[in-house]
Amino acid sequence: MAAVASETVNLVINDVEIAVPKGELIVESVKRLGLEIPIFCYHPRMKPVGMCRMCLVEVGFKQPDGSVRKMPKPQAACTLPAQDNMVIFTDTEMVHRDRKGVLEFLLINHPLDCPICDRGGECPLQNNTLFYGPSTSRFIEVKRHAHKAFPLSKYVTLDLERCIQCGRCVRFTEEISGDSELAFRFRGASMQPSTFELRDFTSKFSGNVIEICPVGALTNREYRFRARPWDLETKPSICLECSNGCATWFDYRVNRLVRVNGRTNEAINEEWTCDRGKFGHEHYNADNRLTVPLIRRGDRLEECDWPTAYAAILSAFGVGGDKVAMLAGSSLSNEGAYLLNRLFHRKFGSANVDYRRTAHTLPPDEAAGNAPTAIADLELKPSILVFGNSPADDIPIIFLRIRKAWFKHGARVVVAHHGETEADSFADVVLRYAPGTDADLAKGLVAARANDAAGVAQAAAACGVDESRIREAAALLGENTAIVTTDSLLNSASGADAFRALRQLGGELNRYALGANDQGFADLGLVPGPDGRGTAAILAGCADGSIESLWLAGADPFAFGDRATVEKALEQVGFVVYQGTHKSEAMGFASVVLPMAEPAEGDGTYVNAERRLQELRAVLSPPGEAKAAWRIGAELALRVGMAKPYFGAKDVAAEIFTQVPAFRGVAFGDRLN
Amino acid sequence: MSVSLFKDVVKPIATGFGITLKRLSHKKETVFYPEQRREQYPRTRWRHFLTRYESGLERCIGCSLCAGACPARCINVVAAENTDEKRFSPGERYAERYEINMIRCIFCGYCQDACPTGAVVLRKNFELADYKRESFIYTKEMLLESFPGEADAPWVGEYEEVK
Repeated sequence: MAAVASETVNLVINDVEIAVPKGELIVESVKRLGLEIPIFCYHPRMKPVGMCRMCLVEVGFKQPDGSVRKMPKPQAACTLPAQDNMVIFTDTEMVHRDRKGVLEFLLINHPLDCPICDRGGECPLQNNTLFYGPSTSRFIEVKRHAHKAFPLSKYVTLDLERCIQCGRCVRFTEEISGDSELAFRFRGASMQPSTFELRDFTSKFSGNVIEICPVGALTNREYRFRARPWDLETKPSICLECSNGCATWFDYRVNRLVRVNGRTNEAINEEWTCDRGKFGHEHYNADNRLTVPLIRRGDRLEECDWPTAYAAILSAFGVGGDKVAMLAGSSLSNEGAYLLNRLFHRKFGSANVDYRRTAHTLPPDEAAGNAPTAIADLELKPSILVFGNSPADDIPIIFLRIRKAWFKHGARVVVAHHGETEADSFADVVLRYAPGTDADLAKGLVAARANDAAGVAQAAAACGVDESRIREAAALLGENTAIVTTDSLLNSASGADAFRALRQLGGELNRYALGANDQGFADLGLVPGPDGRGTAAILAGCADGSIESLWLAGADPFAFGDRATVEKALEQVGFVVYQGTHKSEAMGFASVVLPMAEPAEGDGTYVNAERRLQELRAVLSPPGEAKAAWRIGAELALRVGMAKPYFGAKDVAAEIFTQVPAFRGVAFGDRLN
Repeated sequence: MSVSLFKDVVKPIATGFGITLKRLSHKKETVFYPEQRREQYPRTRWRHFLTRYESGLERCIGCSLCAGACPARCINVVAAENTDEKRFSPGERYAERYEINMIRCIFCGYCQDACPTGAVVLRKNFELADYKRESFIYTKEMLLESFPGEADAPWVGEYEEVK
């Protein structure tokens, strides 16, 4: 999304002439020719610092008489902007000697414990030493010694001996995540990256420093000693821990997930991951995974086979109509959700299906079209209003884009939230309103835009924000503003009113979904019809006996509902189907338990917060007899005679593409209509 | 064609038995295996062992380089972290599980070459036959020598050796 450079300059790199944008760093220009310069500290997404000196090249300038005059000393390619008449040499004797020298210096203090280092095998220092380094070292003195394996946080281990002081991690926390949690202590050879006073490294994006560390100084505590790179198999995946749908690599060993790494997708996560995504996949390996269908006999759940479970379900849900209901969990694939939704609407004749977990909901006509701004477009917005949510918690990768918009493109950011957020640190105006007064503040902003002094005064009094702050914030907003809200605003009683007010504010109003595939459910129409009941009404209906059979499709009502209400509902309702991946408290109330595969254990498509349709191909195989959501839906559909057999998630997806208007003509990786 | 009794019958038989008689006085090359077994060549590579340091600590650090070098992909290493209470090897890392699939192994010795600590060695114990496939998965308990130097001791058969 970089701005197009208007001016180009002509360079000569190793006798090849090339035109590059003026000011482009030589380390990038060289890549255009397919050449490689070894680097450690340089990272394309961060500002260059020239700390490691690995990228030294010889530089000369063409003289008027046609000769080339070389600079007497080599230059660091990562801090050298391209100019006209520049001549670059990356393959001379001097360059090779310099690289050997730099690597010999770097290896003075770097321990040779590669065999036990988690980075060994995928380590830039190893690779560069092998390609460009000296075969031996003249250094025979004692190396620097420090504490091995210092736990920097729950997720990150720091091995100071291995650090080559490139500063990538420090710069990441300053430039990308913005929490500035890491800094260098001491000077010279004793310089070490560290948190302030060695406190916990609590960044919400700490996992990225593990991936960008060019040595094994920062390693993953969960992955520690689990495998070597050559033991691993890896497949592309998408992260379904929140609605952002980041591209990831799933590394697995013998059908067991061992780690998750970021995969480049410029449209969503660039190459970053949040800690929730990087370290939050341990539930794949949990001991309490469900592996066989269970059926209630007396007061016990006993193992049974799938046909028995299906038969019991279909006879219980046969009553149909308003007496049956389904709650969907956020990690169901589009295919699984579509088939179950159709089963309820067409076969059981019930409109009681819902996925929403917020305390309040918007009426259907207001809920549509809720993410007009693509994540990648956020960074080019002149101003951004974050309203009623903490983006680093709700939508972490969108938070990184908002910060990038400010850091790189100078966007003006207004943060309105009742609590502290990470975005406060770079916001131009922070509006800290009293909890529950979201609508008042939104109306105040609208009034300020319309120069309605009385309206502003009234709003300011109601929400406890200074009048001048509201005016200041409104002055920054305009027709090009991206307004970033999430579904969490709907947990506030006045959230729905706040949306209506924000709509009058102009700009692009985004209500990003929270659950992994919530946006997909919305587009599939997994919401109660006109005569159906929503989540709260379904739970109430279970409690008062008007709903006899409840289907929990990947949903755990204890996770979002009020405890007493949920308990009463599950106790009162006659028949509960628990379709889930793990044993849980809700399972104790179940009449039939269907073991479901985790998302990456089956094929499926998912829609992320910006309504981008993404395909996830199975990475692992499901444990035991567990089945992917689409397969459960397909087998039930076949059993009730609703459809021709589906042979794969692709068949279901093909049907969705023809049946659901929002999906019509959309390719994988594109945003929905 | 006529057959001469002496030239065509007696002489070849006598020659043949003559060789036999001559050989009777030679040193015998056959051994009464398995009661006796021959010394193996110095660089013979058969059964793997995991060796220990003099201190009794395991040499293996669970680095999996042997598994990476193995052309038959028959080694499985699962590493874990040493603690001061439970220490198996010097340093941070040790092999929690170390398995070699002896049916797959081609006894090339690359694992021994790759090993940075000299932990895995191939010795001369060649009697590896067994009755069940499962018993060819050699576990760490089977591979680890019981005391330091056990695997380095000269190979001797169970019975008397033939010189």
